[in-house]
Amino acid sequence: MIDVDFILCECNLEALKSFVESLEGIYQTLVSRDPSLCTVMIPAEDSVEGQPFYLGEALVTECEVVLQGQVGFGICLGDEPVRCYCIAFLDAALQLNDAHYDRIMQFLKEQDALVTQAHVVEYNHIQRTKVDFKLMEQD
Amino acid sequence: MGYVAVKGGSDAIHHAGELVEFYRVKEGTTPLEVAQISAQLRLAVDKVIGEGGLYAPEYAAIALKQAEGEVFEAAFILRAFITTLERRYYAEPIQTREMFIRRKISASFREIPGGQVLGPTRDYTQRIMDTAKVNETLEDMKAFLQKFESRLDKNHLQEVTTYAKVIDLLKREGLLQSVAGDEDRTLKDITREAIRFPAPRSARLQMMSRAETGGLMALGYSSMRGFGSDHPTVAELRYGTVPLRIKDPGGRIRYVGKIAVTEAEMISMKKQSKKGEAPLYGIGYGLCFGQNDTKAICMGILDRTMRAPDPSSPPNDQEFVLYHTEGIESMGFTNHLKLPHYVTFQAGLNNVRAAVKRSTQNVVTSAPTVTTQPAVTP
Repeated sequence: MIDVDFILCECNLEALKSFVESLEGIYQTLVSRDPSLCTVMIPAEDSVEGQPFYLGEALVTECEVVLQGQVGFGICLGDEPVRCYCIAFLDAALQLNDAHYDRIMQFLKEQDALVTQAHVVEYNHIQRTKVDFKLMEQD
Repeated sequence: MGYVAVKGGSDAIHHAGELVEFYRVKEGTTPLEVAQISAQLRLAVDKVIGEGGLYAPEYAAIALKQAEGEVFEAAFILRAFITTLERRYYAEPIQTREMFIRRKISASFREIPGGQVLGPTRDYTQRIMDTAKVNETLEDMKAFLQKFESRLDKNHLQEVTTYAKVIDLLKREGLLQSVAGDEDRTLKDITREAIRFPAPRSARLQMMSRAETGGLMALGYSSMRGFGSDHPTVAELRYGTVPLRIKDPGGRIRYVGKIAVTEAEMISMKKQSKKGEAPLYGIGYGLCFGQNDTKAICMGILDRTMRAPDPSSPPNDQEFVLYHTEGIESMGFTNHLKLPHYVTFQAGLNNVRAAVKRSTQNVVTSAPTVTTQPAVTP
């Protein structure tokens, strides 16, 4: 099961934009709410006692798009109007569940593989800094 | 006498702003790109988002450029920027157990789940000036990246995983102090409701998560030097990214991105209040935006000290810690001293002159051997 939002938030913006542009002509599209900035408050929990507290706010962009009468909603971290529009567009397109569904899923799978690969590579670079300190008494 | 404000001076203030800009650009250097600041001054950006209280690295980079690298000023700009935005959502609580680990160390245990991972750190290195940075070129950067990438055998990569926490091991052994029954566990938001003392722990943690690093460090250090109640060890220090999710207007939980945070669990032994009582460990908790070991560690220390029963030491006193580590407020108050205080100061000056005159006259009348002189008025 793929996390569509995870892929769309993490994938390459140019690839996402090109893909959405390739679909735009197919649907009757209405941007019902232009991308706009707002904040989201982030709750956290102390890891020992589970005490909830607010860590701070984050800047997000949100947008709403209507495709063939189907509402799609996009939201992502940062000042990202293009990505946010693309997320809303694909959210609506996937909910339409029409003839283009498989093509969208194929795009998502490809992007998922790229995002995962990038994470794996970064993780392995980080793992190279793993250390096993010896006590001075040890050889 | 209350403060009497001044008016006028708009032209001079405007010209002073232009002069600031003049000194920033007069050398004719290439304009700094915001992307360069984000990437190459990453830790400064992290401080600004942490102290500004807004996770917006790109805007923190703009603020740093605008403020000529002054972190206090940049955090102030970011915090002012928040007030122009509507808060439309409350995220799902972030789970640091889901963290994509970039750094994970323990000073208490040599062997921890997944091992000690130093991550991106200058710890254990000598702080020797790298003068080669003077002539660094884009080609140098590309060459470094190429070499760096070649270090990995792409055919034998480990899968990404998450790790159990050190404190979970202690918890399972029953070595951690339980929460006191009288602890106020209510969830307050200090950005919506002014803090009152004694403050619930949620308010204390929130204030420290956006406090100024140097302020937290000063008080955390003072505690370790004996002016407070805590000198702990790092049970675990983590830096990495955690997923951020919100409930959208349709009620669906949506991933919106990942935020970088530093988390510190500081461990120290609790003093036995009764004879024969088991000497359990207590944990102080620190969590802040970005990579900032010092801030998370000192937040963890002060989380503990503010729970000490005796508030007589500065790091144990909630009001002392929280008001004086709040960077924007502290800077604002300090800098207000530069504002014209002409009327208040002149009123004081008149009083001092009158008192000096009276005391001079008293000395003259009580000392008959001295020849009388008229009081000199400046």
